[in-house]
Amino acid sequence: MNAIIVSTLLGVIMMFCSWGIKSQKTQHTIALVGLFVLILSNLAQLNGWYVIDFDTKGMLAFTRYGLYINTLFFLITFIYIWLNGEEIAKFDNQAADFYALFFFILCGASILTSFDNLLMLFIGIEILSIPLYILTGADKKNLFSNEAALKYFLMGSFSTGILLLGITFIYGATGSFHLVEPILRPSDGLPQEQMILSAGLLLVFAAMNFKVSAAPFHFWTPDVYDGAPTVFTSFMATIVKAAGFIAFITIFNSQAKALGYTWILVLSFVIISTLLVGNIVAVFQRSVKRMLAYSSIAQAGFMLFALYGKSSFAQEGIILYSVVYSLATIGIFGVLIKMKENSFEAFNGLAKTKPLLAFVTTIFLFSLAGIPLTGGFFAKYYMLNSLYAAGAGLWLIIIAILFAAVSVFYYFKLVQAMYFTSGEPSMHEVPKKYTYTLLLIAILLLILGAFPSVVFNYLYF
Amino acid sequence: MNILEILFFALSALAIISAVMVLISKNPIHSVLWLILVFFAISGHYILLNAQFLAIVNIIVYAGAIMVLFLFVMMLMNVKKDKEPQKQLWVKLTGVIAGGSFLTLLIALVKQNTSFQGRDVLLKDGSIGLIHPLGQALFTDFVVPFEISSVLFLSAMVGAVIIGKK
Repeated sequence: MNAIIVSTLLGVIMMFCSWGIKSQKTQHTIALVGLFVLILSNLAQLNGWYVIDFDTKGMLAFTRYGLYINTLFFLITFIYIWLNGEEIAKFDNQAADFYALFFFILCGASILTSFDNLLMLFIGIEILSIPLYILTGADKKNLFSNEAALKYFLMGSFSTGILLLGITFIYGATGSFHLVEPILRPSDGLPQEQMILSAGLLLVFAAMNFKVSAAPFHFWTPDVYDGAPTVFTSFMATIVKAAGFIAFITIFNSQAKALGYTWILVLSFVIISTLLVGNIVAVFQRSVKRMLAYSSIAQAGFMLFALYGKSSFAQEGIILYSVVYSLATIGIFGVLIKMKENSFEAFNGLAKTKPLLAFVTTIFLFSLAGIPLTGGFFAKYYMLNSLYAAGAGLWLIIIAILFAAVSVFYYFKLVQAMYFTSGEPSMHEVPKKYTYTLLLIAILLLILGAFPSVVFNYLYF
Repeated sequence: MNILEILFFALSALAIISAVMVLISKNPIHSVLWLILVFFAISGHYILLNAQFLAIVNIIVYAGAIMVLFLFVMMLMNVKKDKEPQKQLWVKLTGVIAGGSFLTLLIALVKQNTSFQGRDVLLKDGSIGLIHPLGQALFTDFVVPFEISSVLFLSAMVGAVIIGKK
């Protein structure tokens, strides 16, 4: 509750800052201090201190797991805003409004980590996505940004409609919005309400797949990620996506039993098509930004493994994967922001002119590809292990590993451009502080590559 | 057939026919006018379900305010009927197949559920759709989503300001 209330209040404060305080630097500082307060308040709840404590009538359930994920989201947002403060300020003097939207998104994310009711799921998802539509169209003079925002808005509202239809069906079958263990099981000889419950769950499944950009519901992703300003793409592809996954897992960990064998079939289909589309199409991209959009689809395929079955590997793995993937993606987009163009050629010869920047970029790419010694390796390991623990067929694991190998190809194209192709990289000026923040992210990834359990050890103590 | 059933079928027929007309009329203004008719038919259904407050709100908000906005936008943009872009055949075909499968699913759901057939809506208490019980539910059981949805509107407002600013 603390996180939801405090993030809303901070959003309101940032809103007033937009006309009270003119200095961009002060606004940035206020946002960072606000995030710090948010982290503290969330940690306070983790230790049993509340701003207000009342009966939510089964709407929200605050577990240690959800609260801990909140903390991680806020920390990653802190790093993100610390890194991108200057870039956010570039948009027409309204940085404070954007910070307000970030806080509202975090409010949505903290609802999604603690909802216990399908109504709250709906409100959480909407609070998460409406600010995103605006952030996508933040670059008002750029036609691509406008197009992306409109596309995202139309498709997003449509998918929300499907989500609501699914929730209605579930309500019709069970008579409640609560996320309890399904009363109706396939083994009970398929009672009539079972059909409606299954249809509802499948509709919710489709809508959630849209929100986390899993194939075959991924068509908006490349256009929106490409059209949106790079700073906001970086936020969209990381924290928002991870929050969507947490919600996704919460619903289907308790409800997947109602679908019986259909669930495994449908999920396997979605996983394989996501991995296929994401990885294969990414190979043929000429723009780094578009390649990263497809790679984020492919990473979503890996994150879907956590849905396969309930196990401690899935629970820990999704946290590790979210953190590692978010850090690496924020880093690589951070480098991309400083490029004058988005093509692979822009990175030519980066290792000669800016060796440190080229090195951290390599770490981010290694982590995304899942090379050992970076966090990405253990993230992928945990996800594959969760698949195994849930009793998936070996063929699915082998397919996943094959596609992970394909992903190495397109990530290494960038490494090759930086180290083995001569040329002059076309870059904006990179401040020292910026490079060192990127280096810090890279070091965090290396630490996670050596000691992955530091992320989720805290869950148990 | 009692009066309820006659009303139900009449309203359903009206809703379906006007919904189809929304899709097939060439002139966008006509589409919007048909959509208003759809909302009226659905409001009629709400009254049959004893949800009077919802019916009135549906007419005021959807058939009234939102449709007027729609018409404003249409007229401001000056949409001509001959300017309407034509979709390719295969896009239309995909749409028909996808929509048709979904329709099949819904029909199958209703057909399978023999317990649904021939049953009227459960009406425990005549006052269930009035403002008083609704307010009570909103401020006791559903107070958390009710209050949190204000964050949603706030973020939408901030967004409108950002997009509207020069």
